[in-house]
Amino acid sequence: MVSTSRTATLGGRLTRLGFRDVARAIHLCTDKDFTAVVGAVAPDHPVLDALAESADPDLALLALVRLCEAACAEAGAGDPGAEERRTRLATLLTMRDAASQSDAVQVRSRLVSVLGASTALGDELVRHPELLDVVDDVTSGVGVDVRAVRGEMLHAVGADPDADVPVARDAAPATVDAVRRAYRRRLLRIAASDLTSREPLSLLPAVAAAIADLAAGALEAALAVARADVDDHGEGVRLAVLGMGKCGGRELNYVSDVDVIYVVEPRDGYDEDYAITVGTRLASSLARVCAGPSGEPALWPVDAALRPEGKNGPLVRTLSSHVSYYDRWAKTWEFQALLKARHVAGDRELGAAYVDAVTPLVWTAVERDNFVQDSQAMRRRVEDNVPAAEADRQLKLGKGGLRDVEFTVQLLQLVHGRSDPAIRSSNTLTALAALAAAGYVGREHAAQLAVCYRFLRSIEHRIQLVNLRRTHLMPTSEDDLRRLARSVGMRAEGAEGLLARWRTVRRDVRSLHEELFYRPLLPATAQLSAEEASLAPDAARARLAAIGYRDPTGAVRHIAALTDGVSRRAAIQRQLLPVMLGWFAEGSDPDGGLLAFRRLSDELGTTPWYLKLLRDSGSAAFRLAYLLSSSSYVADALGRSPESVTWLADDADLAPRPVARLLVEADAILTRADDPRQAVTLLRALRRRELARIACAELLGVCEPEDAAPGISDAADTVLVGGLRVAQHVVCDEQGHDLARPPAAMSIIAMGRLGGRELGYGSDADVLFVHDATDGADPSVAQTYALAVAQRVRQLLGATGEEPSLEVDADLRPEGRNGPLVRSFDSYAEYYGRWSSPWESQALLRARPVAGDPDLGRRFTALVDPLRYPQGGLDPATVREIRRIKARVEAERLPRGADPTRHLKLGRGAVTDVEWTVQLLQLEHAAAVPGLRTTGTLAGLRAARDAGLLDASDAETLEIAWQLASNLRDSVVLWSGRAGGATADVLPADRVALAGIARTLHYPPASGSDLEEDYLRAARRARTVMERVFYGEEV
Amino acid sequence: MDRQQEFVLRTVEERDIRFIRLWFTDVLGMLKSVAIAPAELESAFAEGIGFDGSAIEGLTRVYEADMVARPDPTTFQVLPWRGDHQGTARMFCDILTPDGEPSLSDSRNVLKRTLTRASDQGFTFYTHPEVEFYLFEPPTAGGPLVPIDHGGYFDHVARTQGHDFRRAAITMLESMGISVEFSHHEAGPGQNEIDLRYADALTTADNLMTFRTVVKEVALEQGVFASFMPKPLADQPGSGMHTHLSLFEGDRNAFHEPGAQYELSKTARQFIAGLLHHSAEITAVTNQYVNSYKRLWGGAEAPSYICWGHNNRSALVRVPMYKPGKGNSSRVEYRALDTAANPYLAFALMLAAGLKGITEGYELPDATEDDVWELTDAERRALGIKPLPQSLDDAIELMERSELVAETLGEHVFDFVLRNKRQEWAGYSAQVTPFELKRLLQVL
Repeated sequence: MVSTSRTATLGGRLTRLGFRDVARAIHLCTDKDFTAVVGAVAPDHPVLDALAESADPDLALLALVRLCEAACAEAGAGDPGAEERRTRLATLLTMRDAASQSDAVQVRSRLVSVLGASTALGDELVRHPELLDVVDDVTSGVGVDVRAVRGEMLHAVGADPDADVPVARDAAPATVDAVRRAYRRRLLRIAASDLTSREPLSLLPAVAAAIADLAAGALEAALAVARADVDDHGEGVRLAVLGMGKCGGRELNYVSDVDVIYVVEPRDGYDEDYAITVGTRLASSLARVCAGPSGEPALWPVDAALRPEGKNGPLVRTLSSHVSYYDRWAKTWEFQALLKARHVAGDRELGAAYVDAVTPLVWTAVERDNFVQDSQAMRRRVEDNVPAAEADRQLKLGKGGLRDVEFTVQLLQLVHGRSDPAIRSSNTLTALAALAAAGYVGREHAAQLAVCYRFLRSIEHRIQLVNLRRTHLMPTSEDDLRRLARSVGMRAEGAEGLLARWRTVRRDVRSLHEELFYRPLLPATAQLSAEEASLAPDAARARLAAIGYRDPTGAVRHIAALTDGVSRRAAIQRQLLPVMLGWFAEGSDPDGGLLAFRRLSDELGTTPWYLKLLRDSGSAAFRLAYLLSSSSYVADALGRSPESVTWLADDADLAPRPVARLLVEADAILTRADDPRQAVTLLRALRRRELARIACAELLGVCEPEDAAPGISDAADTVLVGGLRVAQHVVCDEQGHDLARPPAAMSIIAMGRLGGRELGYGSDADVLFVHDATDGADPSVAQTYALAVAQRVRQLLGATGEEPSLEVDADLRPEGRNGPLVRSFDSYAEYYGRWSSPWESQALLRARPVAGDPDLGRRFTALVDPLRYPQGGLDPATVREIRRIKARVEAERLPRGADPTRHLKLGRGAVTDVEWTVQLLQLEHAAAVPGLRTTGTLAGLRAARDAGLLDASDAETLEIAWQLASNLRDSVVLWSGRAGGATADVLPADRVALAGIARTLHYPPASGSDLEEDYLRAARRARTVMERVFYGEEV
Repeated sequence: MDRQQEFVLRTVEERDIRFIRLWFTDVLGMLKSVAIAPAELESAFAEGIGFDGSAIEGLTRVYEADMVARPDPTTFQVLPWRGDHQGTARMFCDILTPDGEPSLSDSRNVLKRTLTRASDQGFTFYTHPEVEFYLFEPPTAGGPLVPIDHGGYFDHVARTQGHDFRRAAITMLESMGISVEFSHHEAGPGQNEIDLRYADALTTADNLMTFRTVVKEVALEQGVFASFMPKPLADQPGSGMHTHLSLFEGDRNAFHEPGAQYELSKTARQFIAGLLHHSAEITAVTNQYVNSYKRLWGGAEAPSYICWGHNNRSALVRVPMYKPGKGNSSRVEYRALDTAANPYLAFALMLAAGLKGITEGYELPDATEDDVWELTDAERRALGIKPLPQSLDDAIELMERSELVAETLGEHVFDFVLRNKRQEWAGYSAQVTPFELKRLLQVL
């Protein structure tokens, strides 16, 4: 039973030391070769303590066992060096007294750290046990002079580091392998230093620099091999390799594509063609040495895709050819890439000449046309370019990833580097520190961002080390995460703690972007602490212009006005404004947004709730910024009723109010008011407020555009109800009637779009007035009274005043403008019985009583029903007449010079085309199909489809076109802030206007042309359907 | 500056070019040209040359008059007829809006867009046109048209101008980098055919624009007069432009499948099905003039009916005889097209029709082996063979309803073509023709 108790104790020990698969570990501890080296493994064997230090003791143990096997096998073959290595291994793994042998302890720690963090390096050690020398020699792998690294790599291929143009001994496969072995040898040294560091985050920049230097050395050696492969060693060509990306920034990953650009020049006596031909050969051969098939694993792909014209361009170019390309053709992103260019291998002078030549171009890129749009598009690519499946695991891409940090820093460099050479470093962390030192960003925030960056990079390094694979994905398995946590010194926090910290970092990177970019725009007078930066006016203007403000000077003024001073209000603005400046910049009119915000804040700044709301509700602030910078209409509306800002915090407040609630409010207004004008002003204010609410809701996507029109109509209904009551009151007073017993009952019948509850922001209210004399009243008195009331309604609601008017239009009445404004019920009955024409029946399809005596309204409806829903439909002559009228309307109503394809109301396939089609179907079939008895266009359209009068796809075509045209009419108002006018119903041709309108319809940025194409297509299709269904044209 | 642009600048310097003509094509396929001095070249590459587009057919919407023409340096070519010394060169242009977006109304851009769509599906599109045209004696005022000879198909007409003409034209084309496959006398008197070598569709379309100019220039030099009018002589065959089409996937001909019927792959069969299915609605573009329909319905070899056949010269789509071992030469021949078409738009539509067949997986109807012209109407109906539009009017009506044409051309070009063609038809219908006068004036 002895063995059982021993096993149990070893198992317990292993468990305590952090081994996960204890059974397997116990089994491994009894491995023949392992025990041959370290002796029998008792629970207190020193090797176990050593293993426990590593990131993954299980992995380290397995690798150690394999290493012992390899050492034994090697020693068995009789190699004296091998025997020595085996002994050394035994000493290291069995030594107990730590204090007396700190060097040896350090070596042992290096060994288990590497084995516990990297399967790939463990395999490398097993394959080449002689690499134990590297572990044994505790010289640090980081902070090594780059020349020493270069020399080491060149020596490996038999080239002379001191030669002007080093050439390798030959280009045989063995030499290629030598480059790769030398590379890995040094990589092992770097990894050993990195993995045993107490503070991996502090060491990170040095590690990344060491890897970049090693890559540079490898490129140099590969170039030497490439030259050896050419007959005359390419002596007529000077070739420089420029490192780009992380290689250029001297901040390379363990495993990454190495981005380069090649420059060549002929030496005296050779021509350019020679230089290009031979240079191309050298460059391709260099890439093969690094990544082609060979006995040793490839290093990394050498990627020259950042060169002019990308993959389609020539692999090498002369300096002048590079420069002339960049002078004329390069895109903004290419300059951002060039910011990183650094000579890494080959001809040093030529490399320096290249950097000198492109530097001025890089630092004037910000002056180029389209810089703003390009950089915004680039930013979107950075944020959005993440495959959905990886979104939660990406370290590099996506919001809060490494690329995000780099982008932020580079954009700041491009904006300010033009005037300040001090911040032009190609290294992300150095540049960030320089930006802080020069006062372009706050020190505190810059330091925080640097920590985030180091953290993300450290994680990335550790993940890549495991298999030496290029990956930027967080692992998913518990074991992998645990190893990762332990390898970055988060032993206690474990996998959960690591993930939590990572999430925090990602969030921080986002908010730090805002802080770094926008906070320094606040003027110095608004500075909160010495840690914060404030840009000089020129720098502030440059930054504002770079993010899309068209009037940076004005913007600087507004920012100062908002944040100056010591008031609490200014203090909160200083908190809020930086991030809002970014949000304004995303809208279609940043300047307009900022200006409107300033106005609003001037108005409301002292109210207790306004700033508090914006500060405490992130969504309210974002929504406000979006609305103000996308819609002049809303900017204006919120300016008139600043209290509306409270809605933004709550979707329920943004939902259109039901009409019943509005009527109650109107009733309260009328009951309270004693002065009629005052009452009407309040009613008009109510409507203005509801329109603003609906506009906000529509723009914010809280309600669909389809729900906006009924809400807008409800507001008009309410005003009509109230307006009629006021008018009745006033007229009774004036004409000496008893208000309780007026000479006539009155009703207002909504027509047109109001009747269909399809009103837009700028629409008039089409109505009919009807009255009916009270029993015993004199008909002529009743008529006089009713006429006065109708006139008064129009005057009260339509007159200009402090609140927006509602134009009440009664042109659809019998005999049009020549007929009396008001008719009695009997007069309508007689008229419709005798004279009515087809177009009147058609107009009556929209008739809906909205205000006044409900009973009279019902009687009116009953009166017109037989006209608009005629029994047996229409006779052919009437159908012909309606078609003829439509054809004439098409020819005559369109404003002179208007393009029919772009007129949203009367144009080809626009609103009117669809409505007439539906109305014709209603006139023909409503008597038989009850569903068609509706005033709404879409309701009628759907009823016609359900009744089989219209084929489903035709109905859909018409609906899409009608809806899009209606939405566009609203959007034109929302975007421009102008209702009415000659251009209101026309799809703008101006690119800026189109892009702005497209934004209000939730198209992605810069989609004006898409919107235009979508509308033209929808309308064309609708017209085809309309011609077939309405005009009855056979196909 | 990229290599091509550098090459252009260098060549202009070395060869002492004094004028560079920037060529572009209006929506109807007419060549437009603006000449610039070499000093302007760099800025033309960088920013393009601004011009007032409203004066050019279909190029702009009225309110957007300013347009920019930016030369495509890969199309640089010295014009041989302007002489070697202090010469003239030309480049084709892309038309851009002032803010640098490709213009929606540029027909070259329409073709580019469609080619991009094809390449998104992994295809490159090659075309190979056979261009027919007539040579006449220089016209006298009011006199009848006199062809320069009385030869027929493949006739070797000794020592005529036609001979010299073809030699001169081909030499000039070759010197402009346009390879000629084949040339011979055609069936009509004075009628010639020159076949261009196959190339990708954009190059071919550019080449065709050049070709028409070259032929006109050479004719002038030789004291004759060339016309690409589809049907200049009522009793002689018209001039068409049979065009061979093929799709490649990388280096592989996607139409070829060894062992299949006629060695035609499924892709090819679906492509043909697409072409046939949409042929009627694209006719207003492939045969865009009133006169085009006099060729289409003038008998002889003209394809008036929508059907296909293997080596059937009366069918609309002909699958040429397969040559064993030449897998990459598999192709289909579309026979309706005439030389007066805008090649950019026509190629775009033929490609779009074929691609539609592939994406929708259209079934190819059976091949027609008979001479379709010999069948009676009832027989054709029984076989399900429909006619192409009988007139420009018919064609317009079919195009109006075509989603395929609208999507391919884009709403602007679509709208413009329709308006323009309606005007042409109205203008034509208003004519009182000699035919009517001769028939009716006396007897009525």
